[in-house]
Amino acid sequence: MTLANIFTNTLRDRWLSWTISAASLTLLLLFGMSVYRDIDLSIYAELPVAFRSLLGIGDEVDVGGLAVGYVFGSFGAVVVAVVALVMGSAAIAGEERNGTMGILLANPKSRTHVLLTKVAALALLCAATVVAMWAPVHPIAAILNVEIGGLHVEALALHLYVNALFYGILALAIGSATGNRDTAIGATAGILTLSFFAVGLLPLVPGLEDLRMAFPWHYFDGSEPVYNGIAWGHLLVLIGASAALLAAANFGLNRRDLRGQSVGTTMLDRIRGNPLLNRLIGQLAGSARVSSIWIKTASDYQTLLLITAAAMFLVMGVLLGPMYASLPEETLSAFDAFPEELLALFGGGSLSTPEGWYTLETFGLMAPLSVILVTAVMGAGALAGEESRRTMALLLSNPIPRSRIVLEKAATMVLFGTAVGAATFAGVTLGSVLGNLGMSVGNIAATATLQVLVGLVFGALALTLSAATGRSGVAVTGAAGIALVMHLLTSLADISDALSAVEWLSPFYYYLGSDPLVEGMNWGDAVALAVLALVLIGLSLALFQRRDIRQTG
Amino acid sequence: MATTSEDAAGAAIHTDGLTKYYGKNRGIEALDLDVRAGEVFGFLGPNGAGKSTTIRTLLDEIRPTAGTATILGLDTHKEVVAIRRHLGYVPADLALYPSLTGRDTLTYFANLRGGVDWSYVAELAERLDSDLSRKVGDLSTGNRQKVGLIQAFMNRPALLIMDEPTSGLDPLVQREFQAMLREVTAEGRTVFLSSHSLSEVQRVADRVGIIRDGFLVTVETVTDLRAKAMRQVEFLLDSPADAAVFEAIPGVRNVQVRDNLVEMTFEGDMGALLKAATDRFGIEDIRTSEADLEEIFLTYYQSDEGK
Repeated sequence: MTLANIFTNTLRDRWLSWTISAASLTLLLLFGMSVYRDIDLSIYAELPVAFRSLLGIGDEVDVGGLAVGYVFGSFGAVVVAVVALVMGSAAIAGEERNGTMGILLANPKSRTHVLLTKVAALALLCAATVVAMWAPVHPIAAILNVEIGGLHVEALALHLYVNALFYGILALAIGSATGNRDTAIGATAGILTLSFFAVGLLPLVPGLEDLRMAFPWHYFDGSEPVYNGIAWGHLLVLIGASAALLAAANFGLNRRDLRGQSVGTTMLDRIRGNPLLNRLIGQLAGSARVSSIWIKTASDYQTLLLITAAAMFLVMGVLLGPMYASLPEETLSAFDAFPEELLALFGGGSLSTPEGWYTLETFGLMAPLSVILVTAVMGAGALAGEESRRTMALLLSNPIPRSRIVLEKAATMVLFGTAVGAATFAGVTLGSVLGNLGMSVGNIAATATLQVLVGLVFGALALTLSAATGRSGVAVTGAAGIALVMHLLTSLADISDALSAVEWLSPFYYYLGSDPLVEGMNWGDAVALAVLALVLIGLSLALFQRRDIRQTG
Repeated sequence: MATTSEDAAGAAIHTDGLTKYYGKNRGIEALDLDVRAGEVFGFLGPNGAGKSTTIRTLLDEIRPTAGTATILGLDTHKEVVAIRRHLGYVPADLALYPSLTGRDTLTYFANLRGGVDWSYVAELAERLDSDLSRKVGDLSTGNRQKVGLIQAFMNRPALLIMDEPTSGLDPLVQREFQAMLREVTAEGRTVFLSSHSLSEVQRVADRVGIIRDGFLVTVETVTDLRAKAMRQVEFLLDSPADAAVFEAIPGVRNVQVRDNLVEMTFEGDMGALLKAATDRFGIEDIRTSEADLEEIFLTYYQSDEGK
């Protein structure tokens, strides 16, 4: 196998997700610019600097800057970084998990060679995606008659590229060192999320502003490249870190044993390995992990649930209460000056109230996203995952109808989505108590309920796509892509007359449209979301019933 | 389980014009097959002949383009759940859940199936020398296959369908597996076994179906196939051989000539062959041996398209 072969093979496996990302981001830009074009932006200029930096808005506010900064600077950068980290984690650890690493290395190529080839493929695909995102910016601006001449779009694109590559290489390094793909994805995604929010939130806290420099995301947009051009110092930090990670990856990969399809020993296994403890656990839980399809599904995804629920509870819930209480009075009053159109983009709400604060920070984006993450991954993996791992044949040879497999997996998905909502509810409630914010517990519960329901709609969508195609990649990307577009539709509908006519199309309209954190439960919205989710689950039943089972991934 | 006793004398598997196309590609074409209750039926064919397509269609994993099939008298699509109650299955290229131990894997399927006798599981594990306490992902291919075999046998199904079940097993375990098959049929239960290894099928099967390019070429008992008395014959002649002379003799196939040496498979009266040969050539040496299924198998293939 030549270098070109490993290289092209890697490209072939990965091009689709990159293409989808680039295309949807371009679509978002088109949306964003055409909407911003029609609104009065003078008010943005009066915002305090700290808020503008939080919202990714530069000093000189204009339509082009807002659209490019928002779509590329936050959404785009996160999406491309996530695609890069998924590819990076699959590079070495993924091949090991698939059991293909052995045959790859049986060829006269060193481990270092394979590693570098994988990095080259990552760098190329990432570059092609950034170019594909950048290319339509100027034509779109010209068509919509939006002035972007003063913006450093290319500088932003370069920052975005180096930033995404950093997360890709970070995931690749963790995967290379440990051989565990899930660890690579989890740890890198955790660092990305933490870093993204730290850089956004830390400037709001007096005295802690400079701490943001400890987080890699700062070196992506801390210098506001779209307004100020390329900040070579910042880029060098990211490039240097990437190079160091690559060296560490190479070192780790070359000195450790390669894994077969083996799965490693977890803490739980060690406990079970101890005969005394094992008997104790056996008595407590029986063989609970495998006693039925839904319990096995639950056990398969428990780590994902645990991490997501913990993050929602602690960071997005508990932490934000005292943080809001600690914000200085003048900062809070300045929130009153915020234009509603702007806040709408972040889920709406007024920042002068704790409800508005939690809407902006937690419920606007992260809360539905967390439920979607868990349910869409489960929905996609439920059927298509078993098919691509070729275990579906054996599962189906048992005396159970196909519909029961779908239903048990869907039930677990509903359960887990509910658990994420419950963690969010508990976190926000506790945060409200700790910060002495006096929010209505009933309203928090109502909002968390709607959060679960809107998340389940997209989880059910992933399940439907998984049932229809048997391909988990299609299911995840499809559901995530549609969720992204729908979220943007709802965000922009508040400030665009054209879009507000069709905002009822988006499930997110039934989520925060009635402002449940202030107004309480809107049962009509809850029923609408529940019905939609049930219809999609019903559809997945029918689709899976009809289809040939795929034998290979 | 009334159906099984009713069908005990009849067909365990019956297909009627079973056809499966993947788009324009032929999987299987108009397959008419009867597997009798209580027999080991060997399903033979080279890679890509349609063995797995047939099995996956029978299991309702994939749906036929045309035709129907019944298992134990039940429709393979409409009554699939009832069928699976009496079914043990080992898919081709078996995949299990890597993070589960062998015992967890068996527990999972036992819970979905019900009626599993754990002392029997322990006996099977003992006979196949399978360590059920290890994670499946840490097992070698052969040891993983053992877990797959145990799950297929463990609920004493009326019908065992196995797609290349012995892949990765060492000869000792294969022998134990063959003994297990004999016990299954001794209890009146049925085995449908696909393989490309003729020697394996020869040892265990009562009847053999040969499939090629999606078509069922023949179904015969192993005894009948052998009774064809097909022989491998080799003459060393006194002058360079002429293939055409031998090809003209009825019952001669697969003639291969190398200088004075000629090899062929032959079915019929040996005297006629010797006469035809000595009419033209002097014979310096003769060697004959009984053809095994391998050659019979090749003969069926080569007679079709002369490949």
